[in-house]
This record gives sequence, structure tokens and C-alpha cells, in this order.
Amino acid sequence: MLRQPVPAAVPGEASRGDDELLARIAAGSQAALSELMARHGRGLRTFATRYLGHAADAEDVVQEVFVTVWKQAARFDPGRGRASTWLYRITANRCIDQRRRRALRNFFGLDDIGEEPAAPEANAETATAARQELAIVREGLPSLPERQRMALLLRAVAELDIGGIAHVMGTSTGSVEQLLVRGRRTLRDLLADAAQGRERKSS
Amino acid sequence: MTREEFEKNRRRFGDDIDAWPVPLRGPALAFMALDGDAGADGALDRLVRHAALVEGDDRALAREVMARIECGAARPSRLPRFLVAPAGLAVCTAAVLVAATLAGYQVAGLQDQPQDSELLALAAGARLADDGGLAIAADPGEGDPL
Repeated sequence: MLRQPVPAAVPGEASRGDDELLARIAAGSQAALSELMARHGRGLRTFATRYLGHAADAEDVVQEVFVTVWKQAARFDPGRGRASTWLYRITANRCIDQRRRRALRNFFGLDDIGEEPAAPEANAETATAARQELAIVREGLPSLPERQRMALLLRAVAELDIGGIAHVMGTSTGSVEQLLVRGRRTLRDLLADAAQGRERKSS
Repeated sequence: MTREEFEKNRRRFGDDIDAWPVPLRGPALAFMALDGDAGADGALDRLVRHAALVEGDDRALAREVMARIECGAARPSRLPRFLVAPAGLAVCTAAVLVAATLAGYQVAGLQDQPQDSELLALAAGARLADDGGLAIAADPGEGDPL
């Protein structure tokens, strides 16, 4: 069954609400932090899990992000961008750090090989066509190059626009557009291959 | 999903894919993503969003974050943060190289000392410690007139 999509971090009221929450967090309100976690925790966890490909690391990253928000909320400047963009920027940086840490631990043999994120539908996902499409995309995401995957997840999960993605990734809008085009092309190829395979089977 | 099936479902359930029955949404979004229309990218993004979703315990997240804040420990990692930053890695690598170089010079210096003293003694005309054994015997007939 398809679950409800991640709540969109849309401009307007939600954004203003986030700004207010961050102002309250900066003033020491834990209730405001809880509300911010309720709003963005799921999206940040989804982004981190699919980017890192490791559920436990993603959980750790998201916790770190909110601790950072608690400590540094006063640094957020609404004039420089949306709160959600700021949150995803922190998360993206933490994810990159986490990847380096894991690579280093693996290099020194301190860790096991990275586990795949939990995929609740994995066992029964070939049962219906809907799940097949989702499984193709879900399995295709880790095969994308890191920056393509990050750009695509920021677009799809965080619903950031091109400018926001460029801000989070610290790159130009042209570069982001290229990353999105390439990432989408790869996923489309996978979907098209699967569709052709199904047609061949049925004919 | 073929175009025919898609159009049939659209007539039946409406333009909003989210209002379609759950099993039809994925194939519909995939069809739209592959269709090449103006909304193809949007459809693919929505498909990615659906596919990417992961379950998680929001309450546990809040509990863990609050616990970390109360402990004042933002980072339980065993590796200090500076070690994984590029600058930290570079500094560590440089330190290891310098230490290895110094250690190498130290070991090589200790080994060179006796060699140096022997060479100095030889230059001063002393006989080497192993100079005193039997001379190598000449080949038979060596030195005889041809």
C-alpha cells in the first residue's frame, strides 16, 4: 500500500511557521523544537536514509541535525532562505560527514558493510504492479551517483526548487539542472526496461 | 500501464492521481513519467517521493534528541569530528608521514654508526677485523712461464 507522501515544505504559511518555530527554539523553547521535529523529522529521515542507504546512520544524522538546530537556531536568518532549506543543508552536510566516517571505519575494518535501509514492502512488492514501480525506483536510487541522488531526493522528498537545491548542495543552478536531468534519465530507463520486460512476458 | 488503461482510469477516477485507488497510483505515475508530457518530471518526482518513504518512530526521534540535548553530547561517534573533515584527514596524514620519516632516519642513523666508524678506521690505515684469514690460494700453474 502506498503511504501518504512526506508533508511538503511549501513556501508561505508553513515557511513562516518554521521561521517562528526557529525563533522560539532560539529563545529556548523545547516545545517549538518538538513541533519542528514533527513537521520535518520524517522528511529529513527519508532524505538521509535514501541518501546514505543506511537506516541507523540516517537516524543518527537526523538526531544530530535537531541537536544542531537547538544549539544554532539563533544563526538562522530568514532573509537568506527558507527554514526547510536551512534544515536540509545541515542534513546534507551531516550526511556527507557520516559517509566519510563510515568509509573510514570500513577502511580500517572497524565496521561491517553498510546495511540497506528498511523497506517494508520488499517481501511482497512483486505482488502488484504498483509495488513493482515503487520497487524499481527504490532499487534504482542507490545506483545513482551520489550528487545525482542528493539532487533528486532534495527535489522529490524535500520539494525544494532548483535554487534551494543549489543552495543546499553549494553549487550552481545549472549544475543542479544537469544532475536532475541525468538522475531522472537513469530512473526512466529503469522504468522503461521494466515496462518492456512486462510487455514481452505478456505477449 | 498502457495509454488506453491510463485514459480509462482517468475518465473513471479523475485527473488527480492521488485520488485513484492505491494500486493504480504507482503505474499511473510511472506512465506519466515515461510519457514525455510537460508533467513527466513532476510525475517521476512524485514516484520517487512515494518510493523513498521510510517508516520511522517520530516519538523515539524526539526522545533521543531531547536526551542528547540534556546530556549535551551531540555526537556519540567514536571518531572525533575533525578526523573525518578533509583538513583533519590531511593533518593526520601529514603527521603520520613526518613521524614515519623521523623514525626512519632514527633507525637508519643507528645502523650507520658502526659503518661510519669502520670506514673512518679503514681510511686511517687500520686493518679490518676480518682481515687476517688465510689468503686465497693461487690457481695451480698460475705464474708458471707459458
